[in-house]
Amino acid sequence: MTQILTIFWDSYRLLTAKRLFWVALGLSILIALLYASVNVGENGISVLFGAYEWASPGGIPAFLAQYIYLTTFTNVLVPFWLGLFAIVLALISVCSVFPNFLESGSIDVAVSKPISRVTLFFTKYLSSLLFVGVQVLVFCVIVFIAFGLRMESWNFGIFWAVPLIIFVFSLIYSVAVLIAVWTKSTLLSLLMAFLVWGVSWGFQAAESFLYKMAYTIPSAGLKMDYSTGESEQSDTPQELDPGLAQIHRVVKLVAVPLPKTRDATYLLKTKIKINGKDLTQKGAFLAEEDDTSMQNIHKAEEELANRHSESYVIGSSLAFEAVILSLACFIFVKRDY
Amino acid sequence: MSIAQVTDAVIDIEEVRKKYRGGVEALRGVSLKVPRGQIFGLLGPNGAGKSTLVKILLTIVRASQCRGEMLGKPVGDQATLSRVGYLPEHARFPEYLKGREVLRYVAGLGGVAKADAIKKSQELLEVVGMEDWANRKMGSYSKGMKQRIGLAQALVNDPEIVFLDEPTDGVDPKGRLEMRAVLNRMKDEGRTVFVNSHLLGELEMICDSVAIMDQGQIVRQGTIAELTEKTRRYEIGVMGALGSEILGKLKTHGVNMEADRLTMYHQDAGEVQPVIDLLRAADVTITSMTEVRQSLEELFMETVGDKGPGAAMPPKLPKKEKA
Repeated sequence: MTQILTIFWDSYRLLTAKRLFWVALGLSILIALLYASVNVGENGISVLFGAYEWASPGGIPAFLAQYIYLTTFTNVLVPFWLGLFAIVLALISVCSVFPNFLESGSIDVAVSKPISRVTLFFTKYLSSLLFVGVQVLVFCVIVFIAFGLRMESWNFGIFWAVPLIIFVFSLIYSVAVLIAVWTKSTLLSLLMAFLVWGVSWGFQAAESFLYKMAYTIPSAGLKMDYSTGESEQSDTPQELDPGLAQIHRVVKLVAVPLPKTRDATYLLKTKIKINGKDLTQKGAFLAEEDDTSMQNIHKAEEELANRHSESYVIGSSLAFEAVILSLACFIFVKRDY
Repeated sequence: MSIAQVTDAVIDIEEVRKKYRGGVEALRGVSLKVPRGQIFGLLGPNGAGKSTLVKILLTIVRASQCRGEMLGKPVGDQATLSRVGYLPEHARFPEYLKGREVLRYVAGLGGVAKADAIKKSQELLEVVGMEDWANRKMGSYSKGMKQRIGLAQALVNDPEIVFLDEPTDGVDPKGRLEMRAVLNRMKDEGRTVFVNSHLLGELEMICDSVAIMDQGQIVRQGTIAELTEKTRRYEIGVMGALGSEILGKLKTHGVNMEADRLTMYHQDAGEVQPVIDLLRAADVTITSMTEVRQSLEELFMETVGDKGPGAAMPPKLPKKEKA
């Protein structure tokens, strides 16, 4: 246990020694405070602690205010700041950890100690996730307090962002680690991590788009004429296009072994609940009871958001991570230094 | 004491072989015994396999074949590593850590309890003369200071054997003197010190026994006295020319005459006394008498030929078989 704690302590010292860590943390706090400056109340929306206000003539009910406040977090801040920029900064910061650790004169000391190489490898890997963990935790604490004070409701579901974003980062970082132990090159490991991330994101986005075209739009009662660009809304679901459905199936199949970075980030919407309803249940918050077409649209969007089970997203990503890390660990353990 | 007679060996290995991928044979059947409580020097030209051998003992490199024990346990036993200290060649420690933190980091990796690590770190910082610099980051240290911290970290787990790979590399003469004192202190504390070095003069001053490696094999080993015994000679300086009569008598005692110096190859000073008697009886003025031994450097050069330190050729690559 002393050895594992030592590696974590060393990683903590490493990340606090990096200027980029403090820059990223500063930006995280700034963005979280900007978010905290927004108020969605009965009278409307204000930003920068009331500096700018937009009144809502009909008023905003409390549950809808909560919904707007939280979806801003799950649909904007999490995917774009925590799930993209913060991860890019973290990758740039920590992708040199393994190449530096593997340098001659450094690795010799570590592997000549009474600690198994497998433990050494996985502890080093897990401790590198601290970078993102600290950033996301600080961010979520500010969001949690802001939401609690503004809405007078303490929603602990916000903290699901911490494990989910760490998980997403760990998927991308595992690729960087594999390349690092294989080539000892920081640059190559960073490039490959971005490449795999980009490819998997591309497949997930394509799968999502194709699902929307093949299933969501017809289910919502929308009939699209792609030759003229015209659309027609009806109260009844439209027929599915078998060709699009087939293409969707193929893309989904190709995406199965890839890490679900995008989908895992959006899982947060199913984890945060308001009055027992999660944020994918758009209809429960927005639809008018007598508007059938809107209900159909919200139902179709809910199906789109929940088309993948949690076990599929996490399970297939974990399988990817397990394969990549096993390979990296095998190289690390078998190598002569 | 002859190594062959030693029974309490901390390292006792046989037929250690290492063949790297690509066919390079770094070690070709190394057998070695290192006595407990001594300073042991492993010499050899660059590429001889010294570092590979140490790395095999420390599990940094896996041997293709290895029989034997270290501290009574099979080589590769992980628990044994907690009783071993190591300063690698060109050691690198995290630049973001302070000197004191490096010692605690290495102690932690070695499984040393926090309280013990703090106490031992302070003690060692004083031993290596770094207590005033202990709270500064490694990135601000000179090469010599880093090497001092490197030496201290090798001792932080209170090891029974300390492996030092080129420990005086980058250290100034004053630092070398202090390092020699630290090595002798380790020996006095009962530790075995295993030094890899190509600085033969340094080793000669501190080592009790040495082994010379060349092309992946141990070509000589023993105490320095044993290895240089055969070349022991006595030189007597005389003043003025010697007469033919006394020259004839000296020749019967196996004395070589060269200018104003007489040389006799004897192991025992007692065998030189009749020659002195002869000289004194003939009223020859004796200006000096010196016992001369071959230096370690001469022995080394004799052993490895013209492949002196830094001049060795890299190991030969295996020839590719034609399909």
